[in-house]
Amino acid sequence: MLPFPTCKVVSRGLASATSSFLHVCRNPAQKPALASFNLIARRGYAEQFSRTKPHMNIGTIGHVDHGKTTLTAAITKVLSSQGGAKFTDYNQIDKAPEEKARGITINSAHVEYETENRHYGHIDCPGHADYIKNMITGAAQMDGAIIVVSATDGQMPQTREHLLLARQVGVKRLVVFINKVDQISDPEMLELVDMEMRDLLSTYNFEGEDTPIIMGSALAALEGRNDDIGSTKILELVKACDEWLELPPRDLEKPFLMPVEDVFSISGRGTVATGRVERGVATKGTDVEVIGFGNSFKTTLTGIEMFHKELDRAEAGDNMGALLRGVKREQIRRGQVIVAPGSMKAAKKFLAQLYILTKDEGGRYTPFMSNYRPQCFIRTADITVALTFPEDTPDAAEKMVMPGDNVEMVCSLVFDVALEVGTRFTLRESNKTIGTGIVTKILETA
Amino acid sequence: MLRNLRHASLASRLYSTAPESSKPSLKLVAQLRKLTEVSITKAREALSASNNDVNAALEWLQKDLVATGAKKAAKVGGRETGEGLISVSVLSSGVGSGSGAGFGGVRAAMIELNCETDFVGRNELFGRLAADIAHTAAYISDPSGSQSSPFHQFSLDALKDAPLLSQADPSAKPSGTVATSIRDMIAKIGENISLRRALTVVEGAPKSQAGVGLRLGSYIHGSINQPTQGRIGGLALLALKSPNIATLVASDAFRGDMERLERSLARQIIGFDTRSVDGPAGDESSLYNQPFMMYAGDENGQPVRDVLKSWSTQHGLSEGAEESGAAVLDFAKWTVGEPLDTHSDA
Repeated sequence: MLPFPTCKVVSRGLASATSSFLHVCRNPAQKPALASFNLIARRGYAEQFSRTKPHMNIGTIGHVDHGKTTLTAAITKVLSSQGGAKFTDYNQIDKAPEEKARGITINSAHVEYETENRHYGHIDCPGHADYIKNMITGAAQMDGAIIVVSATDGQMPQTREHLLLARQVGVKRLVVFINKVDQISDPEMLELVDMEMRDLLSTYNFEGEDTPIIMGSALAALEGRNDDIGSTKILELVKACDEWLELPPRDLEKPFLMPVEDVFSISGRGTVATGRVERGVATKGTDVEVIGFGNSFKTTLTGIEMFHKELDRAEAGDNMGALLRGVKREQIRRGQVIVAPGSMKAAKKFLAQLYILTKDEGGRYTPFMSNYRPQCFIRTADITVALTFPEDTPDAAEKMVMPGDNVEMVCSLVFDVALEVGTRFTLRESNKTIGTGIVTKILETA
Repeated sequence: MLRNLRHASLASRLYSTAPESSKPSLKLVAQLRKLTEVSITKAREALSASNNDVNAALEWLQKDLVATGAKKAAKVGGRETGEGLISVSVLSSGVGSGSGAGFGGVRAAMIELNCETDFVGRNELFGRLAADIAHTAAYISDPSGSQSSPFHQFSLDALKDAPLLSQADPSAKPSGTVATSIRDMIAKIGENISLRRALTVVEGAPKSQAGVGLRLGSYIHGSINQPTQGRIGGLALLALKSPNIATLVASDAFRGDMERLERSLARQIIGFDTRSVDGPAGDESSLYNQPFMMYAGDENGQPVRDVLKSWSTQHGLSEGAEESGAAVLDFAKWTVGEPLDTHSDA
């Protein structure tokens, strides 16, 4: 059996290759089959990655001069004194690794640290387009974010764009760090920064009143002076992250979902659908729903098989065969999914954020216009999709999409398929991947 | 709160007759910030210096911008600016535009304004500045005269010294030059901002008997707030040669078709790797040899050269003269942050 994080990554579709590659790179000890585990422990130069704490991806966003990098360095420094991180100085962070894996450039620095309750992966958000691309391709992800604002400047005109990005990529909660408090003469002005930030947060539909705002000096923390505005505040900040930012649900806790890869009819037993469980847990005898391709129905999971052995329970990451009660072979096919009843719906039309690969990344050479029809690969399904611009787009008929673009488009599938916000898919044309996408809104359910 | 109270009582004891002139209230600072988007420190300084009078503080800020803006600009001056916008301003797109006898000149400009992050590039204030600079360049440029290319580089120094004209409200009094407006924006945004290049195309209306109408087509790719600015910008100058041009452009239907063709050509230039107008057969980097994929019509996919020819025939341009028809004279294509001097005709 594979450890579940790897499986989660694999199930993400094309992007997975990059992302699992990254996971492995970042945490060498995470990779480990059992054998290498012992080896590492014996050789003793790579620390063992402990999975006891829940993991969360977090990012810093803010103006170039407001001290994002200093703050990141300060967090690692302060936490390293508690054994929760390896101190990463800012010149190491600033040299963001430009990793080219599968031709997809990832230019966001990765740093990790641990608090008492959580393990964090930290990225510095490089720019709007870069981040969106990383998000769509699955190379980087933020479940929560720290907005850094300098006390001397307050929020700036582009702070709006920072918040818009957070909104767009689905970050629901933020923590604000007001930096450089030692550089202002009048502490009352901090109230104003606080007030303005809360206002702005509310304007962009964040919980302005309740969002934790921590005021301190990242530089003081980094230089180990003025603990009252330095390290104390950094600890307060990570505590606020622990308490305020919500953990994304883990795959095991989500409702059961298995994409159907293949279907067999076994004489004397019935119809068996095979596939890898993407998330959740299923036990023998539970009710399930098969959805997709205009043929959704309920049935019962009468048996679970793995490696020709029968078992009672299958969980995320398992390759299983599902024996379904009273289902004919013709009723179920590759591309459909088996899910916990009511947990998902099939959709035909949805809004998605797309990244179109450039020529160098193996994508198209030429632009395309509205009503372009590539193949859409969602889990195991392969369906023709028509891409159009959202309805309110001006001059939609004359707009084009070029390789390298991030663009939001309406996707109309020829058949309905199980979908939800956040589902990833790839777009292909004549056996070539031309883009990847992530569902942002369901427009029409089947 | 307690601290504030104590401070207030202390102050009132010390200056019992005078109001608290040295300590601007939060409310005023907030108000000033809303009006000007200056930093908190600056807003406070302005109020302190002007006795908590918002109007006086505004004036103070205006004066102060010269000094602090320059300081800020000097501080961030060395930083790389790889993001930003291409902004296009077309004041007159040529024959058939506007009123008059049907013969219009061409007057347009394209500029690239750079900043450090695309967060700023997406910001409305930055977009407005870029639009105004493009508008200014188009407005003040002189006809190119007998230069080899109709697209000519506009001197950045001359442009920077020009008063900035507002695109949204052309009658508004300029608040400063292009250079000072950029400097003010640097002070506000805190990022380095630079005007990288500007080109203008200004052609007077040809004499009516010449039988030539000029048209300018434009397309902007990757726009965020305004359709006239984005990540890639392209301008294409067309010549419509026909003895009947004056009567043709009087028709709405003809003008509609003509504008569609222009936009398609500009899209084609941007969407494909186009480096020249015409070239030896088989050279796909020259526009005329490319399959016209961006043309919406039955001839989609035919070489641009053939589409232009048949378009001219269909629209009656080719009647009665040998050297007639629609032709692309020149084009310019810019991408934000691209290395310069890759393009010969820009």
